[in-house]
Amino acid sequence: MRIAELERDDVLLRRVAKGDEEAFALLYRRHQAALYRFALRMTGNAWAAEEIVQDVFMMLVRDPKKYDIARGTLGAFLYGVARNRVMKHLERLPPEVSLEEKKEDGSGPGIVLQDGFTPGEWAEKREQAELIRAAVLGLPEEFREAVVLCELEELSYEEAAHMAGCPVGTIRSRLHRGRALLLAKLEMLRDLPRRASVMRGTK
Amino acid sequence: MKCEEFEAIGLDAERDASLSEAERAAARDHASKCSRCAALQDSWQAARVELRALAEATRSAEAPPRVEMRLRQEFRAQYRTSKARRAGLIAAWTLAAAAVLVGVVSWRNWRKSQQEEAAMHLNAPQSVSPHPARDDDGAAKKESLALEATNPRELNPVANGESGTLVAGNDLNDFTLLPGVLPLDTDDAAILRVRMQRGALGALGLPVNEERAGEWIQVDLLVGNDGLPQAVRLSR
Repeated sequence: MRIAELERDDVLLRRVAKGDEEAFALLYRRHQAALYRFALRMTGNAWAAEEIVQDVFMMLVRDPKKYDIARGTLGAFLYGVARNRVMKHLERLPPEVSLEEKKEDGSGPGIVLQDGFTPGEWAEKREQAELIRAAVLGLPEEFREAVVLCELEELSYEEAAHMAGCPVGTIRSRLHRGRALLLAKLEMLRDLPRRASVMRGTK
Repeated sequence: MKCEEFEAIGLDAERDASLSEAERAAARDHASKCSRCAALQDSWQAARVELRALAEATRSAEAPPRVEMRLRQEFRAQYRTSKARRAGLIAAWTLAAAAVLVGVVSWRNWRKSQQEEAAMHLNAPQSVSPHPARDDDGAAKKESLALEATNPRELNPVANGESGTLVAGNDLNDFTLLPGVLPLDTDDAAILRVRMQRGALGALGLPVNEERAGEWIQVDLLVGNDGLPQAVRLSR
């Protein structure tokens, strides 16, 4: 690791404010992946996630002084900005839960084929992944955020509450509702093929 | 623990750091007794495994390189623009400062030239012939004379300090009227200090000691408004 990569965010940000492009690139590389993953898991859309990450860093390019070190880490600040962008995106658009589309263009996240899986097992894994992803994306935004933060990002309740800007009790209650809805949706999605085959059998 | 409580806090009791050990034990106890809640917990554990798999699948996801490229372009454009704006601002201020400087220097020069002009007006050096009509002894009077020409009442008796400049006093009492000249109004008269050979005094009608006629002397001439000397005095 180069010495420059060890520099603190606020030091890099000061350099960014003076027009240091390399400092900006370091900051970007340090934070982009986490923001992209969060946006991707929340929106289920790679293009939207890309757009959101770009918007967040564009804000940093245009006005690096918006970040106040006294109010927390740069990571948390960027996360907050990304969260607002995600919520706006979700308000504008209906959730994208089309599994087929993701399968065809390959832009959506999928299961990585690991050694030791037969094609049948791999197909089953992939189907399960698509189901859970569809179930997560089908959750209302606030419950989805709680599930993404606590179950996918694996943050503690306190960290998730900090990110979402709400009390821990609220996160716990949202997570409780989110889990219940998620289980119901999974159940429903798993039943769909069975119902379809039953319908085909009755015809 | 009741089923509602178990659903709220029991499903994830092992992970929730805010729960006490007693609450965790109560949740475990309830799950072992209630088949419905035990089934719910199993379902949730299965869902969690799938969530873990989904998290794992997207763990290495990151924004494509084109995002960084676009941001870098935007960054360069942003800072190039602001740099150019700053340079323009500096240039504008520099030009303004230069303009002010030029203005101040011009004004000072103008003032200086005005003052010099006024001073020249007052101190204009002239070659004077004490009496052109009687200029028989021209060689003696072709001296370059420094002149303090002024109204005697306004004459500054203090020498102005310029080397070679002769300054006459304004005291009219020491003057001797030249022969044949009537006393006149001295309001418009001027005093000229001249250097001449003593012999030239003869041309003004004054008696001259022939033995000392070649001596250079300095005299003040009181010149009337007709330009002719009216009176003379030997300056000290």
